[in-house]
This record gives sequence, structure tokens and C-alpha cells, in this order.
Amino acid sequence: MTEDLVFKALADPTRRFLLDRLFERDGRTLVELEADVAMTRFGVMKHLRLLEAAGLVVTRRSGREKLHFLNPVPIRLIHDRWIDKYTEGRVAALADLKHELEESA
Amino acid sequence: MTTATNRPAQTTQVYQLYIRTTPERLWEAITKPEFTERYFYGARITNSPDGHRSHGPDGAVWGDSPTFEYDPPRRLSHGWSSLYDDELAGEEPSRVTWEIEPQDGGICLLTVVHDRLEGAPKTAESVSGTGWMMVLSGLKTLLETGSPLAA
Repeated sequence: MTEDLVFKALADPTRRFLLDRLFERDGRTLVELEADVAMTRFGVMKHLRLLEAAGLVVTRRSGREKLHFLNPVPIRLIHDRWIDKYTEGRVAALADLKHELEESA
Repeated sequence: MTTATNRPAQTTQVYQLYIRTTPERLWEAITKPEFTERYFYGARITNSPDGHRSHGPDGAVWGDSPTFEYDPPRRLSHGWSSLYDDELAGEEPSRVTWEIEPQDGGICLLTVVHDRLEGAPKTAESVSGTGWMMVLSGLKTLLETGSPLAA
């Protein structure tokens, strides 16, 4: 369920761009984030809401400002669930190949 | 692609995850050493209104900081000094805040904020990435699938 939201959130270039901006530096305001995107404030807010719903972005209040933070946990969980499994196999296959080639050399 | 892969260490770090448990059990898991030693790099941590104390498996002092907020089972805030590492121990103290928000369906939303890291750049770097992630995924696993916890 949460996983669907994460994949959906990541399937958009503007949202990935916003995540990259937060990756470089966390704790940005809406004003800062919308300055980097050729889009109306309403459009940026919509994207941020989707990122928040997926748990990829967490907002915190600091005085009068609302700051946006990248939450790395959901991507990590996806990584553990989907990426590790497949790259492990490929790395093992390459290691076997290397071993075989070197044996026969 | 100009995507950054090396992230500069952030002075405020936010981690959030859902855990299938009650606020009371989550609070216990965060504040009592018999639980923390099972997911927090073996550290035996006691969080009480009097302070945050942490000991390594060999009894060495890994943490000794004041408690700022103690509101069971919802909110805990305490100081952080990385006494477990000689190089990090000399840095200025930072702050760790745990927030527990119960959700529908027997789930809690846990938010961990590690901030005030301006005077502790090496600590900031060491806890980011896998640092907190290992702790939090271990805590989730312990509460959701762990063997029955001792009473």
C-alpha cells in the first residue's frame, strides 16, 4: 500500500527533481522549492502533497515557516525489498564469470 | 545527469516510519535498555526524566546527556553526545527527539529528528545514511516480528 504510493510519487520528473533538491539540502521552504521549478505555486504544492502522502517528504514547523525534509526511510525499504534482491544475483553472476574466466586462463 | 550522490551531512535530519505496534510498547522499546540493546548497536539505553544514559555491551559509557522533554508515550527529547567514538566525542552536543503518533489500525507513526548538529559535523555524517536507518529498521523488526519481549 505504502509501496504503491512511493513508486507513484517517484514516477514523475518534477517530484524526483524536488527530492534531489532536498537531498542536496534539507529543510527548504515552499518559496525556495518553487523558485527552482517552472510551475505555479499550486502545481508545486500538489507535487509536494503527493511526496508527503508517500512519506518521502516530511514537513516541520519552525517558527512561522513550514520546512520540507527528505525522509530517506521509504526509499531504503524499497531498496531492501527490490534492489538488493536483484543486484545481488547479478553481482554473483559476474563474480562466477570472472572466476570461470580466470580458472580457464 | 548531475544528480548528487554524496550528500552533505545535514544539520537537521528527519526520519519517519510506520510501525505496527502500540504507543506504549514503542515507548518501552525506546526507553528501556533490555529493548534498546537488541536494535541500537548493542547499546543499553535508559531514557528517563533524569537523563539519557547509554552503555556499550562492555559497560563503557556511550552516552550521558540531559532529557529535555519526557511525555510518555508520545514525545521524548534528549541530548546526544557520541561518547562511543573518541573522534566524535569531542564535538558539541546535539539533540534527538522521538515523536509517536498513533494511527488507525494498530499502527504508530514514529518520527525521529536529530538536530542541532551544527557543532557536530562528524556526528552528523556518521549518523546519516545507514546510521539511524539501521537503528530504526531494527526497531521496526523487533516490534513487528521479534520474539516475545521479556516483561
